[in-house]
This record gives sequence, structure tokens and C-alpha cells, in this order.
Amino acid sequence: MIDLRLKTVSKRYRIRREVDTNSSFVQKLLLLRNRKEDFWALRDISFNVQRGEALGIIGHNGAGKSTILKLLSRITTPSAGEIMINGRLSALIEVGSGFHPELTGRENIYLNGSILGMLRREITKKLDSIVEFAELRQFIDTPVKRYSSGMYVRLGFSIAAHLDPDILLLDEVLAVGDAAFQRKCIQRIMELNKSGTTVVFISHDLQAVQRLCGRVILLKKGHIEADGDPTETIALYESSSRQLHAPERVLAGHGPSHEAVVTSLTFYDGAGKESLSFETGRPMKVTLNYEAYQPLEDVIFEVQFYSQENRLCSFFSSETLGEQIDLEAGKGSITFDCSSVGLGPGVYFVDTGIRNRLAPFGIDIDWRRRCLAVRIDYDRHLRDTFYMPYTCRHSVSHKKAQKVLVPHG
Amino acid sequence: MNLNKVANQYSSVKIRGRPIRIIRPVSFSPLDLLRELRGLWHYRDLFYTLTVHRIKVRYKQSILGLAWAILQPLSLMLIYTVIFSVVAKVSSEGVPYAVFAYAALLPWTFFSSSLTNATQGLVSHTQLVTKVYFAREILPLTYVSAALFDFVVASSFLFALFLYYRVSITIYALWAIPILVLLATLATAFSLFFSALQVRFRDVGVAMPLLLQLWMFASPVVYPLSAVPQRLRGAYALNPTVGVIENFRRVVLQGVAPDFYSLGVSALLAAILLPLAYLFFKRVEATMADVI
Repeated sequence: MIDLRLKTVSKRYRIRREVDTNSSFVQKLLLLRNRKEDFWALRDISFNVQRGEALGIIGHNGAGKSTILKLLSRITTPSAGEIMINGRLSALIEVGSGFHPELTGRENIYLNGSILGMLRREITKKLDSIVEFAELRQFIDTPVKRYSSGMYVRLGFSIAAHLDPDILLLDEVLAVGDAAFQRKCIQRIMELNKSGTTVVFISHDLQAVQRLCGRVILLKKGHIEADGDPTETIALYESSSRQLHAPERVLAGHGPSHEAVVTSLTFYDGAGKESLSFETGRPMKVTLNYEAYQPLEDVIFEVQFYSQENRLCSFFSSETLGEQIDLEAGKGSITFDCSSVGLGPGVYFVDTGIRNRLAPFGIDIDWRRRCLAVRIDYDRHLRDTFYMPYTCRHSVSHKKAQKVLVPHG
Repeated sequence: MNLNKVANQYSSVKIRGRPIRIIRPVSFSPLDLLRELRGLWHYRDLFYTLTVHRIKVRYKQSILGLAWAILQPLSLMLIYTVIFSVVAKVSSEGVPYAVFAYAALLPWTFFSSSLTNATQGLVSHTQLVTKVYFAREILPLTYVSAALFDFVVASSFLFALFLYYRVSITIYALWAIPILVLLATLATAFSLFFSALQVRFRDVGVAMPLLLQLWMFASPVVYPLSAVPQRLRGAYALNPTVGVIENFRRVVLQGVAPDFYSLGVSALLAAILLPLAYLFFKRVEATMADVI
């Protein structure tokens, strides 16, 4: 069943040239007529969203993300095309934009709730749950002007989380609040999604999109650039934002050297199959092929994993081999074998390259920045951010207890 | 059958109609009006909450509080009483000028404060208009209903004046209710029109105080309708507030039946202006968030 259908939707904005306040009245009147320039924020966008789907929409600033959001939430109307919405839709955009500082938390719940389309009796029924979720029980009769910004955000999200819509639109709302509350929000959205709510999530936060969405649309200058698997789409977005299609050769020091290049980098899963998605606690293998054009002494090969926030999370280095690697001119390969992936769930971007071990940091023979993206998923061993390999042993010293542990049948 | 299947599939069962909405580019026909009115009904609770909010916020952290609702028409009454009954002698049809003026200033204040506040209603909520969808006419409408609340508060003072000046009230005073409904209709129509216009042209808000001042003097507020020369009456009655204000004062103060001709003209104008204003508002609303 289709919950949202966009059929060749376009949105045009008129850009008005600013009227110079000093110009004469006649000039202003003339300008009123022909000071317009057209700008198409969206051009012929078509896509469907199935019931229960969680769709992410990503793209650079100005790609048309927020315009889609505004169209779906009826804040503005399309210039052409047709949008079909099947069900009650709620948009959670910029938490707390309907709060009034003089009113108490309770009064604001009613005010904000009814702005978001809830009925009073609905709000009364959910009031306790809203207050509970926001963790604001003792401040609920305090004017919100005395709230901290964190409390403000919690209250705003809590109200929106209780809208109970058929279709939920989300903006960058999750980028606020403390980490614990953020996790709680994502949890709540996932629950809603699981119980059949269709979710459309528009965000810059790729990690959140990755976790939440089963499908991602990449927008570029008002067009759909890609639509499909989250990992691939996010990787495409990342590569387009970093011009990765032609991996840059970072050659510091002495001009364009043609000493050696990484020709390919391939990831394999535990079964030896080529793959870009792995599970925490499971094996991963990486093979790096290179070609050296001249003999090179004492080099190391590296594969680095970066989070979406550009933090180096982990890396493989041939330095751990314990012996010096000298290259002859010609081809070769290096394999890193990891028995259990320690990275937590998410998308990681991969750098790889060949460095001269003794050269000062930054002087590389060949370096490919963000040449691949790998996706790490949850596996049953892990519930949080990273994995520590361990074994577990159970010993019992009490005889009686031992009896209890004997399995039946 | 199908619905049951879907409902069973999910643990938190949602059995309720799923409204299907089609959004197309702006093309507003009078037929859509009905659909829009249904949409407006959906936001009735927002209307109520926002109206209460307006009243609360206005009187929170103010010392005089509710008394302000009376002070506004009262101070105008004092000024006009000094000017038009002490300095210049204006006919007040046999009743003390103070009561005469207050009985008209009461509905006029309702009308003018509706318009003044409602005109700013949309642009002062830019945050909301660009972030959330709701039937936007709610915003100007809540200002009209908040002004109506003030009217009710201020009319208590009218009764006090009646007691003081020993003016007797007749059964005809009940006409005040339909007259008030008519006035509220007019206030709504003009509020919708001016608030929508204000979104694009901020000149409207600037011009509003001046416009309302002229409008008041073009209505029988500080003088009776009978003071208007007979030959000008036809054109004069085209001002929709004329029939309403004159007749309000007539039924409560003189205790006689309303003048059906002038009241009819006002009613007819209201019946034409309200749908037109609403259509105009809805047309502007479609792209309001882009230009506000």
C-alpha cells in the first residue's frame, strides 16, 4: 500500500531583487513588475513511499530537501505536479517552534499539541505519558521561559512523539538534546515505525539516517540523484561531496611522484565473499593490490576507518607485520585479516594508501581518501557502540546450585 | 476485510479512517470552500486553545489585567464626551452623551481591535507559519474571538452606566445578539482580508490605525445616524459597520426595534464579503510560507 506518492512535483521560487529603499516610488512600482527571477527548488520529482517504510532523504544544502518537507507537510504548495498523502501526517520540524515563554509547560503542551493537530481530549489522555517521556514531572507547572534549552527540546520532542500519526515527517530535530535523550528519540521513532507508521526522515545526520531508514533518496539540485539501499546512497552522497570518483593522490613533499599506487581495495566477509557490509563481532578481510614503479624501501600499507563525523575510528597497518617491507618494481598485494570487527554499527569511510614509514607524517606515496564506505550492522552480541572480544566462563562452587543447572531432557 | 488484516498485522492497532489528501498547485475554486471549512473544523481545538492563550498572555504580568478591556472604550468615551458634548454640542438623541458614546464605542472597539490585532496576526507568527501547517485562518480568527471576550467584559460597564443614568432596558435589547453575530462576521471578513494582504504588503499594518480612525468617523459612533444628511444616507449606509453600530445602540439604549433597512444592507454586505475574503485568504495561504 502506498502512503505517499509524488508525481512529477516541481516547486518554483520567485527570487525578488531587493528594492533599493532610496529609489523613487515610480521605480519601486516598476520593479514590482519585473524584478522576479525563477529558481526551481525541485524539478519533476516522482517517488512513492510504501506503508511502514522508513525513507531517508539526504542531499547538500539547497538540494531541495526542506522544500520536499514543506510540500509534504503542506506548509507550501507545489508549482506543478501532484502529491497524494494517504493517512494522517504529522511533521516534526524544529522542536518547540510553537512554544510561548510565558505559559507553563502544561499549557504549552496543549498549545503546541493543538498546533500540531491534536485534539484537546487526545492531549489530556496523553499528558502523563508526554510529561514522563520528557522527564519534566516536577517542572510541568513552571513557565517554559525558566526552562533550560535541554528541557525545552525534551518537551518539544515528547509532544511530537505522541502525535501518533500514520505518516511521520522528521527534520533535523534529532540533532539537538543530549546523547541519551537522542537515543531515546530514535528508539521511539523506530518503535513507531515498527508498529506501522511510515517515516520520512530528512537530515544531514547520515549516521541517524543509516540507523533509521531502510531506503534513502539522494537529492541533488532539485533532482533525484539516487534512490535505494542506504549504504550505497550514503556512500554516493559522501563521494559526491568529496569528489571521490577520481580518488585524489595526495603527494606531499616532492611533486608528482610515480613511485607506487594502490590499484584496488577489496573487502571480504567471513565466507570469503566480496562485501561492503559486515557485522560487529564477525570476521572481515581486506586485500589491497598495489603496483610499484620503482624499488621502494621501508614502506607501510594502511587502511583507515573514519566515522561520518570524520573521526578516525580504527585502522589496519602493515607495521604490525613486524618486519620491514621493501618493494621491487611490480605488482603485489597485502591482506589484513580481522577475526572480529570491533567497530559499532554505522557507516564508515575508508582511506587507504602506501606511506614511507620513516618519512614525517603526511608524506605519502599514494593516498586514497574516502575511497569506499563499509556498513557495519548490529549483531546479537552487541548492543552499544563498540565490541570487545571476550570469552565467558561459568563456574559453580556450590553443590546444590549445580543441580539446578543440569539441563532437563 | 482488508482493514482488519492491516490492523491485525500491527501490535498497536490503529483502526480509524485514513484520510486521503491530494495536493496540487494553487487553483482555488468556490467548490473547494466546503472542503476547506471541513479542514477548519478539524482545528477547532486549536482555535479554542489559541483564543484562551491570547487572553491569558495579554493579561499575564499586567497589573490592571482584565480592567484593560474596559479602560480602552472607557477612556475613548471620556475623551469624546469632553469634545462632543462639552466643547461641541453633538446630538445624542436624548440620552446622556457618555452612555450614548459608550454604547457605540463598545461594538466599535471590538471591531477595530479585531482588525488591528488580526492584521498583524500572521506576520507576528512567522515562526509558526513557516514551520507547521494548520489552517492559517485560525490565527486572525483567534484575535477576533479574543476581542469578543474583551467585548463581553467591557459590556459589564455598560450595565453600570445604565444603572447610574437610570436607562431602562427593553426586550428589544435581545436584538443585540444577532447584531453582534453580524458584527463578528464583518470583523472576521475584514480580518481575513487584511491579514492576508499584510503578508505581502506590510504597508497594510502601518496604514491600519489611520484607516480605522477614518472608518470610525465614517460610522455613527460619536454622532447619531440621524445627524447624517438625508441625501448622503444611501452612500453612507454602504459602509457595512453603519447598520450594525447604529442598530446596536438603538436596541440597547432606545429600546426600540432595529432599523431593518440599514441592518439589511450590513447583513447583505457581510454575506458577500465573508466568502470573498475567505477565498482570497485561502489563495494567499497556499504560498504564504514562501513570501512571509
